[in-house]
Amino acid sequence: MDALFLADDKLSAWLGELAAARRVLVPVREREAVVFRPYAAGVTPVLDRQANVPPKASVFPASEALMSFRYTKNPENLGQVAVEVHETIDAPPTVVFGGRPCDARGFLVFDRVYDTPKIQDTAYKKRRENTLFVTLACDDPQNTCFCNSIGSSPYDATGSDVLLTPVSGGYLVECASERGKELVESKLLSDGNALREEAKTVHASALSALGPAWNPSPAKAKLIEKFEDMGFWEDVSAKCISCGACTYLCPTCYCFNVTDERTGMKGERIRTWDTCMSYLFTLEASGHNPRPTKAHRLKNRVGHKFSYYPEIHGGPIACCGCGRCISLCPVSVDIREIVRLSIERPTAKPENK
Amino acid sequence: MSLQDELKAQIVKRLPELDVVIGWGQGYDSLHRTPLFITSEADVDKLVFDPLCVHNLSTYLTRYGSAKRIGVVVKGCDSRSVVELLQEKLIHRDKVMVFGLPCEGVADLGKVKRALAAKDLDMGRVRAASFADGDLVVTVSGQEIRLPMAEVQADKCGRCRYHNAVIHDEFAGQPITEAAPDTYADVAAFEEQTLEERMEFWREQMERCVRCYACRNACPLCVCRDYCIGQSREPNWVSQRDGLEEKFFFQMIHATHLAGRCTECGECERACPVDIPLLLLKRKLGKEILELFDYRAGTDPDAKPPLLNFKVQEDTINERGW
Amino acid sequence: MTTLPNPYIPEIATIIETIQETPAIKTFRVTLNTPERMKSFRYEPGQVGQLSVFGVGEATFVINSPPTRMDYLQFSVMAAGEVTSRLHSLKAGDQIGVRAPLGNAFPYESMKGKNVVFVGGGIGMAPLRTLLLFMLDNRKDYGDISLLYGARSPEDMAFRYDLPDWTTRKDMKTVLTIDREAPGWEHTVGLIPNVLLDMNPSPENTVAVTCGPPIMIKFTLQALKKLGFPDESIYTTLEKRMKCGVGICGRCNIGTKYVCMDGPVFTYAELKKLPSEL
Repeated sequence: MDALFLADDKLSAWLGELAAARRVLVPVREREAVVFRPYAAGVTPVLDRQANVPPKASVFPASEALMSFRYTKNPENLGQVAVEVHETIDAPPTVVFGGRPCDARGFLVFDRVYDTPKIQDTAYKKRRENTLFVTLACDDPQNTCFCNSIGSSPYDATGSDVLLTPVSGGYLVECASERGKELVESKLLSDGNALREEAKTVHASALSALGPAWNPSPAKAKLIEKFEDMGFWEDVSAKCISCGACTYLCPTCYCFNVTDERTGMKGERIRTWDTCMSYLFTLEASGHNPRPTKAHRLKNRVGHKFSYYPEIHGGPIACCGCGRCISLCPVSVDIREIVRLSIERPTAKPENK
Repeated sequence: MSLQDELKAQIVKRLPELDVVIGWGQGYDSLHRTPLFITSEADVDKLVFDPLCVHNLSTYLTRYGSAKRIGVVVKGCDSRSVVELLQEKLIHRDKVMVFGLPCEGVADLGKVKRALAAKDLDMGRVRAASFADGDLVVTVSGQEIRLPMAEVQADKCGRCRYHNAVIHDEFAGQPITEAAPDTYADVAAFEEQTLEERMEFWREQMERCVRCYACRNACPLCVCRDYCIGQSREPNWVSQRDGLEEKFFFQMIHATHLAGRCTECGECERACPVDIPLLLLKRKLGKEILELFDYRAGTDPDAKPPLLNFKVQEDTINERGW
Repeated sequence: MTTLPNPYIPEIATIIETIQETPAIKTFRVTLNTPERMKSFRYEPGQVGQLSVFGVGEATFVINSPPTRMDYLQFSVMAAGEVTSRLHSLKAGDQIGVRAPLGNAFPYESMKGKNVVFVGGGIGMAPLRTLLLFMLDNRKDYGDISLLYGARSPEDMAFRYDLPDWTTRKDMKTVLTIDREAPGWEHTVGLIPNVLLDMNPSPENTVAVTCGPPIMIKFTLQALKKLGFPDESIYTTLEKRMKCGVGICGRCNIGTKYVCMDGPVFTYAELKKLPSEL
């Protein structure tokens, strides 16, 4: 397919076109944070750096109703109460504009869990089908970026529908999926084939700026080997303060909580982001907690991403290399370092085993 | 001997009495320091102290069982949290060894980010950082940028009355003699806006909250943590929805529970991954406490925090005169 | 592209009967409100369901009536947390939500032709009850069946309505035990693992199925090993905090295994391979 060109001064117009029929989420600045918000005329997208909060909520909202319920009293016999439930799904047609390749790839990690031959998460699936990604290739990665080490790159279009690459005067626009075609049918886009070479240079320079890739795959076996090595986990989790910033801001972290909220005779069962870093995540009604300390919990987070998930799903790591868990951690816990140490450090054998 | 070397020598000397000493070490890039847990002399070499040592390490003191003896390195502001924890008997004096420091101020990485963004540069791409002649010198995207510390220093440092650790078992370096007045001018300025304007401001800020609880968990004094009513079902005070109501409600509970206890170290705001100006809420309560009780949290280990203390007639509240 | 049903939407069921089994355990017999669904409802012994009290939440329980007796689905609930406490306040006629069946089942097919030893403690008798009744209803498919069921005291013994049958039938051997002597108790006294060793079942062509409190399971497994049962012939069930019940929400995993999907039934051999995070 032909490459197209979007001039800088046509960006707003194109966003306007896209937003005519859909919800378009763009990264915007609020104080020093960049977050995704619905595009409207006058909104200036921030396209020169990674957003603090990835566009995860576009397909996996921080909170959504899984269903609503309503109790009805039998007027003849007030002790008799019937209940009915209704599926609630909100899946507006959406374009996520200006996310990075890692942001879009995060959903590939979701897909293997949320949409399987045995189980389909209905609301997720509907939103996934209704959401398209116009992704911006990175021209200058940040210090915490490591997509090249988990089998991706700053211009990896997997999981995206359209890939934009910054070139002089605008963006090279390339379709990355069948579904992306409908988005690029715009008179605002002109022939961009002549800029392909420039885009390639941008890609190559971004990749080289990331530095040499390291190989996390030995961690798959090593993390299992270190399961009982609590000394290791206490050491690497010492500074963790057990908040959920790493998981909530992770494009691949997909765990959730389910709680009921009732007001009078009706209410909703809501699904909300949850975090395995929280003590409450695995706390059982009996008071027993299989993951009682932050060392146990950090072990699960790193273990799940780099060992259990690849083991279950035949290889892929549940990490997109965006580095937010590092850059936005209040105490700079560095998952790259933990994975590397898990590979390099000898495993201590527990004494009484 | 440099302050940093003096501190290292003190830690080496006292380490045999302690299970761990918590200080700062080099983080993942040149602009970031990270909490360092020292258990051996070899670890001491990794210790760093400079204006990038932003974390208040006293938040870790309540995370160890009472059997451990913990050493903690503190700046002036951090030391007030230690005092407050002692006042509330949340830690035991004989289990904590305080390595106190004088501090001329720390950098606010939010300001560094803004200063660089103004030059179309990204803090996430800084390759080198150092301090020279009162400037933070950074190398980013091939350019060397000098940022005067006065411009990128944390706001709390500009109004600091406690540059020196107010409690310590060891003190490295020379005490700083000056102390700035804190008139709560920032709070007063904010309050010049109408109620509607202020509400609108907070609405916009809270909208970004992801309920990650970094603010709560970075706070040295928000000690409920694993049993927080923001997440508990019994009692079920706050739903898990991500509405403004829930976010605001949690922050209000967080702030009011810290009234008269908060030392305004600003860790809540620094920890926030979406830059919500949470310290302003705490400052408002700090101002009220100062005016009502003439009290500054975490300055006197023997003082009883005013809201933990019942007096029939408060000295500064003329209830009967109303 | 196939579309599967929404896995989170419970079916509405009506409680037709409740039984206060012990001070802490209450049993609910429920039928799905849609008669056709009740008729077509299929599950296997050992599978679990999530019960909903709408407005409070969901919790997981084994279906402890066998698929051979489809007049109702039976769940036994020990009051421990928010949902279980609210369930205890419900009565016949009240409506709840049911998401079932979830999880795996006991391999009752491969157990055919074998002797079966059941060792249950307290509420841990619930999953065993399903399999036991299923086997009694298909009696000719199985060899000798023996049951050791223990509780702290006679009052803590659930399923007392089953006991007259179990203790008198000729085609099974039943030993009931309590931890300490109690007035009027005519059965065995002693801790389950010790009584099991006294019973001395042969491991020959025999599977053991055990469930109960963690400490009882630990010592029962040791006793079964002492008796010579191979790890592959010992079955037990695990419990974890669950939410989604369909392998997505992420909290019930032990390493790569999700108790809600790969369990709750595991052999001792499988358990040994799991990392220790129980």
